[in-house]
Amino acid sequence: MASTEQTKVGVPLGRLSKAGVLSFLSAQGILIFFLIGMFVFSFFSEQFLSQSNIMTVVRQASIIGIIAVGVTVVIIGGNLDLSVGSMLSFSTVLVVDLHDKIGPTNAILLMFALTLMIGAVNGFLIGFLRLNSLIVTLAMLSAIQGFVLIYSGGQNVDIANQENTWFAFFGRGFVGGIAVPVLMFGLLAILIQVVMSYTGYGRRIFAVGGNPMAAVYSGIRKNWCVFSTYLISAFCVACAALVLGSRVMGSQNNVGQGYELLVLAGIILGGTSLLGGAGSIWKTVIGVLILGFIQNGLLLMGYPYYIQWIVTWVIIILAVWLDLANKRKRLFTTHS
Amino acid sequence: MFNKTAIAVSVTLMSIAAAHAEGPYRIGITQNNVGVDSYQTTYESAFEAAAAREGNVDVVVLDAGGDVARQIGQMQDLIQQRVDAIIIWPTNGQAVIPAIRQAHSAGIPVIVTNSKIADAGLDFIAAFSGPDNVQQGISSAEMMCDALGGEGQIVQISGQPGYTTAMERAGGFEDRLAEACPGVELLETQPGNWNRERAQRVMEDFLTKYDRIDGVYSGDDNMGVGALNAAKGAGRADGIIFIGATNFAVGYDAIERGEYYGSIYQSPVDDAEAALQTALDVLAGEELPKMNFFETPKITAENLEEFDRPVF
Repeated sequence: MASTEQTKVGVPLGRLSKAGVLSFLSAQGILIFFLIGMFVFSFFSEQFLSQSNIMTVVRQASIIGIIAVGVTVVIIGGNLDLSVGSMLSFSTVLVVDLHDKIGPTNAILLMFALTLMIGAVNGFLIGFLRLNSLIVTLAMLSAIQGFVLIYSGGQNVDIANQENTWFAFFGRGFVGGIAVPVLMFGLLAILIQVVMSYTGYGRRIFAVGGNPMAAVYSGIRKNWCVFSTYLISAFCVACAALVLGSRVMGSQNNVGQGYELLVLAGIILGGTSLLGGAGSIWKTVIGVLILGFIQNGLLLMGYPYYIQWIVTWVIIILAVWLDLANKRKRLFTTHS
Repeated sequence: MFNKTAIAVSVTLMSIAAAHAEGPYRIGITQNNVGVDSYQTTYESAFEAAAAREGNVDVVVLDAGGDVARQIGQMQDLIQQRVDAIIIWPTNGQAVIPAIRQAHSAGIPVIVTNSKIADAGLDFIAAFSGPDNVQQGISSAEMMCDALGGEGQIVQISGQPGYTTAMERAGGFEDRLAEACPGVELLETQPGNWNRERAQRVMEDFLTKYDRIDGVYSGDDNMGVGALNAAKGAGRADGIIFIGATNFAVGYDAIERGEYYGSIYQSPVDDAEAALQTALDVLAGEELPKMNFFETPKITAENLEEFDRPVF
């Protein structure tokens, strides 16, 4: 492998410093890019760095952010969750539809229970039956979308009386001047970051994702660990559905379509490796915010929607490339 | 899941059959994407109900699931089955033309419903039936002009990029506004993709970007209500005129509450019934204009009572 050659004794000084630069770029490159981007955007649009705009962007990013926090845990555990977009549609349609039928409290409780059940199915198939997570969650994506279409009969669901329901709190409320979605995003991120960094449970997830065999030999119950990461992911989706349903006060049955990609984009931008065993919630938060600011900045500059997609994905590919370049200590490789 | 091949076989009672001089007919319909939006879902059930009422019509209802290739396949199936007429809700106004041409060569009249096809295909169809989206844009522009008294700054949230309906509405709106209302300036247009959450985000960004917004035109009410949500959230809803199209139940309610100025009434039930009627007229050999538009009136607080609350 190329990297073993590079780490041999007697690496020329020039190459060492190049590796140093690369390492710095891959670790902080996205942050630098982000700062340059912010600078450029603020040059073209005076409102970009205004307090109200920053609050708006963070609020807009919080739905994707809340989901991304959960999916980061799944990825650190060495798996993927592509079903989160469909699950978001499911949970949002459910909570909005049930709101008028059984009241907000019951609707929220039932929605959380059913969303966690889907997470449990994912977790069981992947954790205990050891099925490939990509395939299971991709299948789940279609299955849930089909279920949502049947449940809603293809109709949009709306909360009839939007003015007088405390359900509005989750999407539109403020606590101490901070929007509730932002607060939920922040609290979930802090909570899960603490769990992942400072508890035995968190260390076990890292171990399972990093080296499953070693983890099993050291007595970690891998099945349960993997299972639990899908419960965390489902819980986060349920929280996001609460915010989304309350923010819009209604739901389309395909509302979460494509969210799985945005969530992955945020996580990858944050530098979490899709191979598992490494990553950080904190960096996912940064990644999601970068995504939000890019889209907002381009829109404020008057660029159409499609440009946002192109720019976003160019930046993601760049991030993945820099990450890989750091691992093999060079930008380009001629080896296969 | 939802590409139902529901074959609604109506019981042809002798008495009803006697009431109709022609028939029985077998009409095939291939829809665009039932189940993903309320309008199309309502259209489908209305179409089946209307066909059942006719008594002498058997319908073969297919759904392309938004997939052009699948729709072309369904057209070929219907040609194979030798149905008497085909109604198509094009997934893509250009790509379906060869399939329409095949049906035309096989002697099966094709009726295009709801969304137009490209001009190159017009020679091969018997008739079009649907809403006039250009006219809808024009009507919305006139309402905007009236509401603002001919002066102001507005933004537009358009539908799915590349979608004929979205382009026609935006085009009709922009042209008419420029012509009838030069005092109203269209600051910017961004797509909301027929999605309320997306429209809400776009509007939040507009509100940041522009200190003064007097009006918002949305390609449909679903997005319009998203824009209204955003403006309410920013505490700026009172100073803004909201005008949409395709009146949704939420839009209807918002007009009733006085938060939303107006919309265009377009019923999927009218749409479905007009398509079936057009097909029957073609089969009966009546002389029809090529383009058959059904009425899509302006709806505001003043005439709200004349219309039923939309079911979607």
